[in-house]
Amino acid sequence: MIFKRELKRNLKSLIIWSVVLSGLILLTLSIYPQFAEQQNEMNKLLESYPEPIKKVFGMNELNLGELMGFYGVEIYMMTTLLGSIYSAILASNILAKEENEKTIEFLLSKPVGRSRIVTEKLLAVFVNILILNVVSTITSIIGFQFADDPDVPTDTFSLLTVATILLHLTFGAIAFMLSSMLKKTRSIMSVSLGIVLAAYFMNVMAGISEDLEVLKYFSPFKYVDAAQIINDNKLEPLYMFIMTAVIFISVITSYMVYRKKDIAV
Amino acid sequence: MKIIDVKNLTKTYKKNRGIVNLTFSVEEGEIFGFIGPNGAGKSTTIRTLLNFLYPTSGSATIFGKDIVKQSKEIRQNVGYLPSEVHFYDDMKVIDLLKYSADFYKKFNQKRMKELAERLDLDLHKKIEDLSFGNRKKVGIVQALLHEPKLLILDEPTGGLDPLMQNTFFEILTEEREKGTTIIFSSHILSEVQKMCDRVAIIKEGELVKVETIENLTKNNLKNITITFEQANAIDFDLEGIVKKEINGSEMTLLYSGDIKTLLNQLNTMPVQDLLIEEPSLEEVFIHYYEK
Repeated sequence: MIFKRELKRNLKSLIIWSVVLSGLILLTLSIYPQFAEQQNEMNKLLESYPEPIKKVFGMNELNLGELMGFYGVEIYMMTTLLGSIYSAILASNILAKEENEKTIEFLLSKPVGRSRIVTEKLLAVFVNILILNVVSTITSIIGFQFADDPDVPTDTFSLLTVATILLHLTFGAIAFMLSSMLKKTRSIMSVSLGIVLAAYFMNVMAGISEDLEVLKYFSPFKYVDAAQIINDNKLEPLYMFIMTAVIFISVITSYMVYRKKDIAV
Repeated sequence: MKIIDVKNLTKTYKKNRGIVNLTFSVEEGEIFGFIGPNGAGKSTTIRTLLNFLYPTSGSATIFGKDIVKQSKEIRQNVGYLPSEVHFYDDMKVIDLLKYSADFYKKFNQKRMKELAERLDLDLHKKIEDLSFGNRKKVGIVQALLHEPKLLILDEPTGGLDPLMQNTFFEILTEEREKGTTIIFSSHILSEVQKMCDRVAIIKEGELVKVETIENLTKNNLKNITITFEQANAIDFDLEGIVKKEINGSEMTLLYSGDIKTLLNQLNTMPVQDLLIEEPSLEEVFIHYYEK
């Protein structure tokens, strides 16, 4: 019941985000054919980019003239970052808003356990993130058709998709856990978004300087680095494990905290 | 049988004072009142009984079940009306009532329509478009719809117009006739006096008294109004005078002593007129509220 209602209530937001993201993906992929054609000119242009920038965006390691490479540099950044922001906003809101809008007294007076409330809301977050990813994946595949040679290594592309979903779930889980502990939606959302953006910038910084390379362990964005996945054609098990562990711990903590919390409005 | 049984229930907060060692019980079919000044702990008690808050110490049972460990089962048969009603704004009234009913797995559409009609509530309006009083009505219907065995009402008539208040009390009386137990907290002592069988008075987190309405008002306390020519010139001191007030030529006493002694005393004084009345619960209660 709670699950169904949350799906309904968040549908508009999901549609808007899906449309915007899809729009960006299609727009960007529509430029690809020109990239592929003018590879020589492109390469000369790339020579003139400063080293650090090339490193950060993986331009050194990925070939923008190839569809997969292009995807890894241009599209992937959007899906990972924007999707993570979406997940953080959705997850930080969904539990805490009941306390904020004071509707929690109504809900809690019903014969429903706290665990069930957490479960159904968590499920709603999960399903929404999944749908967003399905939409963006399908859109990307459609966008690939713009190219003369739309063939993309399916296994690599699947890995990228899985990595992206895992990334979104990681930030979503952290945001959800924070929302179970704190009360003011505003600060929960700020902190959750802050975590996403901080992680993103740490990834950028780690790429720029050798000295800052250690930062990469703190940023989930590094765990799902496109260049690494495409070139090695595999997901680094350690990174996947870390993200899964973070998700698991965040979810368990959410249950534990919410079950014992004093809830008063 | 004791529907609610509270034993030394305590809830302490870091900042505000909560409730301390509350012990009382509510019998099946009673209408039990809960009165006290603002911040006394009425809402805290209710929230603890419903397991929104976890007790610091002590325990309580409802329907014989522990309020913490078996809270979900308890709530299957409880209807709750909070003092401040907040519902999902994006829903229509009928959607909210259906959503609520789904949790109890019983939705009596006929009953919903009857209650809505009696309370003059438009089922198809959006909740965000309703006035405060109308939202309160939604709260009332939502509490009654699944025919609970226990109704917990926190300041239920706030926001209702006098006509609706009467309708509400009619509904409560009908519920009582069905055997429903009702506990309601209120500031409006006339209501409490009218509806309740027994009343618990809470002050500063502690239980001051649990008493039947009858005993409270008949507690030997009398309201005595004496008219003198010059009231303030009269020096009147008698054991049992709880309160004395002078208004022009009238002296008003709240007196709990022996009536014969008072009459004998008055006989010696230039009394012009005398009025002896039962005090209202209000007057008895103000006595407890103060201090």
